[in-house]
Amino acid sequence: MRIEVDWTRCDGHGMCALLLPENIGSDAGGYPVLHDRTVPRETMRHARRAVATCPALALRLERE
Amino acid sequence: MTALQAPATPTAYGSARLLAGVTHGGRAELALHRTLHGPQQHRTQGVLVSETATVRLLGRGGAAFPVSTKLAAMRTGSSVEVVVNGSESEPASHKDRTLMTVAPHLVIDGALVVARALGTRRVTIAVHDAAAHASLAQALQERRRLEPHPERVVVRLQQDRFVAGEVRALLNGLEGRAAVPPGRRTLPSDRGLHGAPTFASNAETFAQIALLVSLGVRGFTGVGDPREPGTTLLTVAGDVPVPGVVEVPTGLPLDALLRPDGVHGPVLVGGYHGRWIADTSGLRATRPLLREAGVPLNAGVIARLPEGGCALAEVAAVSSWLAAQSAGQCGPCLFGTHAVAQDVAALLRGRPAPDVTARLRGLVGRGACAHPDGTAAFVGSALASMTEELLVHAERGGCGRPYLGVLPLDGLHS
Ligand code: SF4
Ligand code: SF4
Repeated sequence: MRIEVDWTRCDGHGMCALLLPENIGSDAGGYPVLHDRTVPRETMRHARRAVATCPALALRLERE
Repeated sequence: MTALQAPATPTAYGSARLLAGVTHGGRAELALHRTLHGPQQHRTQGVLVSETATVRLLGRGGAAFPVSTKLAAMRTGSSVEVVVNGSESEPASHKDRTLMTVAPHLVIDGALVVARALGTRRVTIAVHDAAAHASLAQALQERRRLEPHPERVVVRLQQDRFVAGEVRALLNGLEGRAAVPPGRRTLPSDRGLHGAPTFASNAETFAQIALLVSLGVRGFTGVGDPREPGTTLLTVAGDVPVPGVVEVPTGLPLDALLRPDGVHGPVLVGGYHGRWIADTSGLRATRPLLREAGVPLNAGVIARLPEGGCALAEVAAVSSWLAAQSAGQCGPCLFGTHAVAQDVAALLRGRPAPDVTARLRGLVGRGACAHPDGTAAFVGSALASMTEELLVHAERGGCGRPYLGVLPLDGLHS
């Protein structure tokens, strides 16, 4: 699966960088920096939790 | 020199095809258009797919996507929408508004070819320019009187906004919503105008389709570069022999448009989402070649700054304009484009901007549309190709040359 940000929704609270550090970092403004969009099976649990926790509903998992 | 205006009359290098009959001024009304291009013809979807593939027709908006691929992916039927994107919201580009103003019937012919091939009667032409709107409306009246067609063609005057030219933003605007791109990437061919499968392309693309149908494959490929045969419209601006909208055979060396003696400073290729390049020798006006060279043609704007003006000031002005055009939906784009504009303003005053490279990197791929990426390309390539200018500004706080405003910033109604 692939993690995608809906930039029109993201408020830059940076939660996702804490919950899915494998894929997401954070810039000075708190907005996510996706260093890798591909989510391997091993970290899928982290990814699902980040998607569910994002207060802006801005994260989604997409099929590759 | 002041900001460039749209010239009254476009020019053709070599034989005029899109601009046939109008390079001495005026507008091709229906009778003249039929004399020049023959009767309206039609093709099945299959034949149109194969012919556009044979002539390697690429979209003339920005993305240069193969028209045949887009056509082949389309479903057919009466609910399909055909959208002519004539919004041309970049102020430096005038080719689409000029084409729609002087040769409206060519654009309409092309739209009707596509509509008939896809089995629909629904055609929308979206424009930002009042003169283009008036000419198209008049053209439709001429047809109603002299050559009625079953398709329902609607011309819509849309609001002015840079990102609104982006097709998904345009579709939002046509549906009465804010003309900004949606957050999720959807293909218009799946879900476009009012949720219907939509074939959307740039105005010149439709005119090229009309030419292809009228000239046939052999006639169409008779001029130009074999990798993208035919002609292309460009807007050439700044210190050049013939400024304004030009029709050129593809493959024409860019230096022929810029300055035959080959001496010139940084040249902008591809407009305000395009790239600056210090040396244009060897470059030709062919989309696949320019893309390979790292300077995509985008919507076809090429500009050369006059030596008497401050190049950095031009870049700074466009950078702040680009920041103001961010639709403000996406944080990294909104904050990033403004921070980058401030960095360029600092460099202009000879101050350091140590974070500019990181900020430019932070724009790439971080928005709902290509605006942050395009802004990063424009600014990043300017700084890379203007090292001498930057040095002079850093040493003396400026270069002493005036800001000429060669690159227009509004001009949407000019
Ligand atoms: S958690 Fe959601 S809103 Fe917060 S930075 Fe990540 S994507 Fe944006
Ligand atoms: S990327 Fe920028 S211009 Fe594009 S939709 Fe987001 S905020 Fe608007």
